[in-house]
Amino acid sequence: MVDFIEISVVAVGTFLAMSMFSTLYGKSSPLYALAEESYIGFATGLTIIWNIDYIWKTGIVNIMAGDWVLLFSILLGAMMLMRVHPKYGYVARLPIAIVLGAQFGLSLRTIIFTGFIQQISATIVPLFTGGTQTLIYNWTIVICVIFMLTFFFYTIEMKGALGMSARFGEYLLYIAFGAVFAQTFMGRLGLVIGFLQSYTIPDWKTPYLLASMALVLALIMYMDRAGLLEKLTPEE
Amino acid sequence: MAEILKNRQLQIIVMLLSFLFVFLPYFLNVPQLNTASTKLITITSIVTAFTVALAVLAQFRRGINIINRRSRGWYFKAYMLMTLVLMLGFSLISRETGPYHWVMFAVVNPLSSVNYGILAFYMASTAARAFRARNTKALLLLLSGFIVLIYQAPLTGAYFTGFEPIALYLGSTFGLAAGRMFLISVTVGAIVFGVRVIMGNEPSVLGLSKEE
Amino acid sequence: MMMAKDSGGILKWMAEYDRRYVYLVLFLVMVGPLLRPIGMPISVSPDTVQYYNVLQQVQPGDKVFFTLNTEFSGYNEIQSGIIATMRVLVEKHARIAFGVAHVEATVIPELIVKAVQAEMTANDYQYGRDYIILGYIFPNEAAVAAGAQDFHGVVTQDWLGRPIAGTFLDEIDDWEDWDLIADFTTGIATSFLINHYALRGTPMIMNCIGIMIASEKPYVDSGVLLGLLQSMRGGAELEFLIGRPGPGLTAMDGFSFGHYALIIFILIGNVGYFGYTRQQQMRVDREAK
Repeated sequence: MVDFIEISVVAVGTFLAMSMFSTLYGKSSPLYALAEESYIGFATGLTIIWNIDYIWKTGIVNIMAGDWVLLFSILLGAMMLMRVHPKYGYVARLPIAIVLGAQFGLSLRTIIFTGFIQQISATIVPLFTGGTQTLIYNWTIVICVIFMLTFFFYTIEMKGALGMSARFGEYLLYIAFGAVFAQTFMGRLGLVIGFLQSYTIPDWKTPYLLASMALVLALIMYMDRAGLLEKLTPEE
Repeated sequence: MAEILKNRQLQIIVMLLSFLFVFLPYFLNVPQLNTASTKLITITSIVTAFTVALAVLAQFRRGINIINRRSRGWYFKAYMLMTLVLMLGFSLISRETGPYHWVMFAVVNPLSSVNYGILAFYMASTAARAFRARNTKALLLLLSGFIVLIYQAPLTGAYFTGFEPIALYLGSTFGLAAGRMFLISVTVGAIVFGVRVIMGNEPSVLGLSKEE
Repeated sequence: MMMAKDSGGILKWMAEYDRRYVYLVLFLVMVGPLLRPIGMPISVSPDTVQYYNVLQQVQPGDKVFFTLNTEFSGYNEIQSGIIATMRVLVEKHARIAFGVAHVEATVIPELIVKAVQAEMTANDYQYGRDYIILGYIFPNEAAVAAGAQDFHGVVTQDWLGRPIAGTFLDEIDDWEDWDLIADFTTGIATSFLINHYALRGTPMIMNCIGIMIASEKPYVDSGVLLGLLQSMRGGAELEFLIGRPGPGLTAMDGFSFGHYALIIFILIGNVGYFGYTRQQQMRVDREAK
């Protein structure tokens, strides 16, 4: 037996979702604005809640357990908030310097391996041993990486062999973009289908989805004909 | 005190020290140094969580400005601010059940899904209008996209197995190479940018103007 | 010249039709099969087999970090892979800790646990002993890195504020103590997990959304990641491999039709382009000369 709360979740959810989809009609609408502002408001609230939660659990709880060093995190965090103060904004500079330094340290100590060295070494593959398929794959990868990279050399003039290499790299990039586009479309399609699935399974949800679609479409068409769309939509 | 906090050189030195304190212990196996470095990383994670407040404040200011100006549709901004405050209140009641839980599934879930899902429609419409074999490059893009699309449709993959090796080849060679090339480029860019910041050549990142 | 003008009708429509037809058709071909499923067959890609083989190596009692780097939207796309992976892990009696990198995902573990409730009950899963929900523990890179070096220095309580002391997480000190990271991602903290866990040697597999496939494949190829499950289709293939149909396989009919719809629209666009737009352009060029 489905209870009222579950029904209200589906009814409100489908209505708001269809209101957001109403942007596909091609014109701004108050229904879209309602959905958009609902999302911004609630999601921002959610972000505040969970970041406070993190500060509490990682900072305050540990401080109360005797890890006094973490008091610095609260002090530096409070200094960071001064960033918005027109007169005392400079107070935030110190925590910004500490945080930026640490974050660059974290990032640089690892990406040089995962994003550079390991990628280069993975490109150095056997080009003369292995089965036919492996050889075709390996040759293609090596050729693609070399020629595609030359396309992105912006600091030197592209002429002669380098220019030809860059032009060839550009053609290879187009082939890659075709494959990447298809993969991206697959993802977005999966996303919509997954969303629709959550409102068609189990069966009792489907009428709410269809009713919301019809209701939002009818409202948008009515407002369009009555000239209300622009009038009721917020200014950009 | 104010002069010390405003000092640009001091800021760059603090940033450099902070950088080294995180960077070096990773390569040196000194337990005490590692412990101290981990503590600095934990502090950084907490301080970074504070910065969310700055974004929220900006959101609030913008909303209140619109409301004060009574711009067209200002009431939507008032509604947005109200939902923000409501969410904070709901979280205090319970996060497992109650209104917080209701909002998560009735509002946040569908809207988050549609927010990104709608791109499928835009992508389809754009592809239908732009994927035209106008020249050799467009033809290459079209052909490779076409083959991968056909393979990705599970039905074709199951019945017309001829597409599979070509599509896998395109994804595992051209697609992989493009991904790798971007990864290497981004990494080199990030390293160069990081070094420039640490050397004090990117003052804007620290909230400084060039003259300071 | 006249021909081009006269043949305007259908060819002109094919070149310049209203984009809302694309939206409408795409919507219908996705909703239709969900309301009336057909149950078409699918093929399994080598990448999914590789991911499946890693899962098969999980031993009873292994500690698995189940990380959700996703918003609700991403969850909808990869939920089939998430649920199928969870089923395998529960059936293998792994101990599972859910960590979250997006505030929206804080309630997703609840959906996952609900989806595999039958298996969890059958395997006598108990909160704290066999699984735990940690909540939002990856707000930024520093948090991920600190957790990799000193887990209990960063994570002290579960998502509802209950202490984690006394749970199986007592056995975790740093990155070395995890037997596997199963990451489900739209890209939020994934690079941080790769950099601070997988690079050091923690075994890691991933189920990513479609847009990330090209950017994550190099990590599999270079050996940093052990397996990559791709988008919803990868999830459906995993469901097929483990013999447990779920949301992925149910969605595959609409998935096929959605792809075909796009292919047809691209074909129509090209016929319109060569049959009308290009003719018009050539005519204008000739007249200009």
